[in-house]
Amino acid sequence: MESTALAAPQPTGVSPAAGQGRSGLILAALGIGLLALLPLLALFWDALFAAQTSPLGLGLDGAAQIRGTLLLVGGEGVLGALLGTGIGWLTAVCRFPGRRLLRIAQLVPMAFPAYLLAASLIDWGSHRALRIHGLGWAIALLTLANYSYVFLLTTESFSAGGRRLVEASLSLGLGPWTSFFRVALPVALPAIGAGVALSAMEVVNELGAVRLLGVPSLSAGILDRWQVDGDPQGAALLSLVALAIVGVMIALERQLRGRSQRWNLESDNERPFSWPLHGWRAALAQLVTALPPLMAVAIPALWINEGWPALRAEPLGELARLTSRSLTLALGATVLTCCGALLLAIIRRWSPQPLIRQLSFVAGLGYAVPGSVLGVGLLIIGGPLLMSPLLLLFWGYSDRFMAVSKQGLDAALERVPPTMDETASSLGHSWLAVVRLIHVPLLRGPLLMGGLLVFVDVVKELPLTLALRPFNFDTLAVRVFQYASDERVEAAMAPALLIMVLGLVASIALIPSLERRSGS
Amino acid sequence: MIKFLFNARPFRLGLAAVSSLSLLGAITATAQAQSRNKVVNVYSGRHYNTDKELYAQFTRQTGIKVNLIEGKDDAMIERLRREGANSPADVLVTVDAARLIRAQELNLFRPINSAALKRDVPANLRDPNGHWFALTRRARPVMVNPAQVNPSLIRTYGDLTRAELKGKLCMRDRSSVYSQSLTADVLQRAGKATTERWLKGMVANVKQPFFTSDTTMVRAVGQGDCGATVANTYYLARLLTSDNATDKANARKVKVVWVDPTHVNVTGGGVTRTSGNPEGARRLLEFLSSPTAGEGYAGANNEYPVKGWGNNPTLQSFGTFKATPVTIQQLGQRNREAVQLMQQGGWK
Repeated sequence: MESTALAAPQPTGVSPAAGQGRSGLILAALGIGLLALLPLLALFWDALFAAQTSPLGLGLDGAAQIRGTLLLVGGEGVLGALLGTGIGWLTAVCRFPGRRLLRIAQLVPMAFPAYLLAASLIDWGSHRALRIHGLGWAIALLTLANYSYVFLLTTESFSAGGRRLVEASLSLGLGPWTSFFRVALPVALPAIGAGVALSAMEVVNELGAVRLLGVPSLSAGILDRWQVDGDPQGAALLSLVALAIVGVMIALERQLRGRSQRWNLESDNERPFSWPLHGWRAALAQLVTALPPLMAVAIPALWINEGWPALRAEPLGELARLTSRSLTLALGATVLTCCGALLLAIIRRWSPQPLIRQLSFVAGLGYAVPGSVLGVGLLIIGGPLLMSPLLLLFWGYSDRFMAVSKQGLDAALERVPPTMDETASSLGHSWLAVVRLIHVPLLRGPLLMGGLLVFVDVVKELPLTLALRPFNFDTLAVRVFQYASDERVEAAMAPALLIMVLGLVASIALIPSLERRSGS
Repeated sequence: MIKFLFNARPFRLGLAAVSSLSLLGAITATAQAQSRNKVVNVYSGRHYNTDKELYAQFTRQTGIKVNLIEGKDDAMIERLRREGANSPADVLVTVDAARLIRAQELNLFRPINSAALKRDVPANLRDPNGHWFALTRRARPVMVNPAQVNPSLIRTYGDLTRAELKGKLCMRDRSSVYSQSLTADVLQRAGKATTERWLKGMVANVKQPFFTSDTTMVRAVGQGDCGATVANTYYLARLLTSDNATDKANARKVKVVWVDPTHVNVTGGGVTRTSGNPEGARRLLEFLSSPTAGEGYAGANNEYPVKGWGNNPTLQSFGTFKATPVTIQQLGQRNREAVQLMQQGGWK
């Protein structure tokens, strides 16, 4: 237990590389923060100064939309936390037949966008006179589409601290259940919090699935008030409510993290110990871990089986073009976003200035704004300046998904003792060298994971791409939308399948990291 | 630092990605820099592969290339608005009357004077000042499953309030522009008080919950889960010509009831105020509304052309109808009031 559970030291003001090019770092962070904030400021500016078209209020459906989003966030948050943490623990720390495969299988649901799950399930059900509609279905589908966020972050946390946790539990004479609740859970709280906060933001932003399922939501309300009613003030008011919900989620997560702050670092070479499960325990673990990925695959599979004849409708050349555009956008956005997130995470760790540290929070706000509204913000800036649509699109992606790659990094950085930074800098290394020599190697897992999440998110992303892309530049998600919005879901199958394949390929890229972490 | 950058795999990957992006950007820029009078840039709320074939046909005929961005109607209008004087768009095509009117109110269209458009598009389907022109018609009649509901019971939309339909009527949700436009039509013809009564009576008959798509709703009528509904004909036509045998068999059980008058909405377009090639844009609209290409534009989605009934055999099998006297302009102008009444009347 050489470096476990040190008493929570103050993370503020750890500035190992003071004076060595740090002003450059601060400037870069300021730049990223400003870029992230600009579209949001433009939106509020627009709302403040637009001609008042109707009395300021929540609108006809405002109350129902707020209620709908709160119920969705609450329902998905609880279910997603239970499922993600449970599966994270089982597959990281317990040992049962099929565990390795089942751990990897948790990446599968990430490849399936919620709107696609909803559209295919509704269509499949309607062939059998089965109405898939309403809040219950929405919570279930959103949990299925988003629990992987919690899983990925918690499993990383459980794995990283796994061996020592189990050793600690053993020395206290605890069994698997008690060790989970008394030792592992408190240590994993930051990761759970980060995962739940991420999935909550995803839910606040979800548009396609909840609309199809007939659940009133803030994201739909904001969009309609802005674009259909021509009432930016009303939309800004609803956006504030959405921001408040996300703000509460982030505050909650920080609170949890603050309570359980401890440095918990493990060398990659050590082989973690794991709990062996036998008999009904092993069977139950298999069932719990297998069910969600199976369901995520089963829904589109049933649907594809239904509409197989229409699958060959799209010419192969066109599909290849769509795929290459999706791939290029996703790769570019991933690199941009990960670099930005790393910088912000580092500055948050080092800077003694509360204001600078808050930049990291501010830069994550883009995730809380519905993509289509963020698109309007970018158009307000980019339109008059004649900015290239592709540039605006990358700006939008980075703004939107900064939080995704940053959350994991923040949580992971807290497991790296600040003394390491201090030691390195006392040896005369510059900030960049400290990042390169210490953080990048130690954060390889979270960086890869963050990158993967951003990549998959961008491949699935719809509203920004739809609103900002250049002429003759459709992507896979755009094509799926075009077919699905015309209610030709069968024709949407081929591009939808490719989105899933890209997501799966990206997930497979993560396997070595997961495997190394679990020491299998 | 440079050595580090080039040694790290993610960064190398990033470099490759960024290079390919610059290439793409360059290609896009080149495409946009083509001679302005040889290019028409279209923002469209329609998304049919056959539209692209029609645009290609236009290019072959005129030598004018069509660049296209297809998206959500409202988002396309918003983009055009925000781009202001810098917008590259020449033509805006949207689906639904209210959106055409909104684009006009936002001053996004410029008036054009075209004898061909006046000749090919009936007066009630275009703006009197030439800001926009309908290109296809979308009829929204009542559809019933005769095993559940006697079709002769229904002669007008008002009959949807009849007690015989209690629990058998399935309707599309309020956020659908189709529902909004139908209500605006009733409101324009019958006035506020009658519309309120109509909404109350009809909503009381609706088998909850409201549907979020026409296809699943028409399917439910075929399955006998619903007895009657109001839906656009092209959804039924699509099911009738589907590759899916069950869908086809189900759709055959659905009967179209042409209420008198039947509500009609449109796909329409106009030349943008900021167009850099208004001449090319006008020629594209003329092409799309011409009898031959117009039928192609409508036929892409089993819609009706702006004049006559077209030559689509599936649509012809439904028979003909008497279209509403309400103009597209009136439909658009009544939209907001209609949505308020729907909300007050309990239309979810």
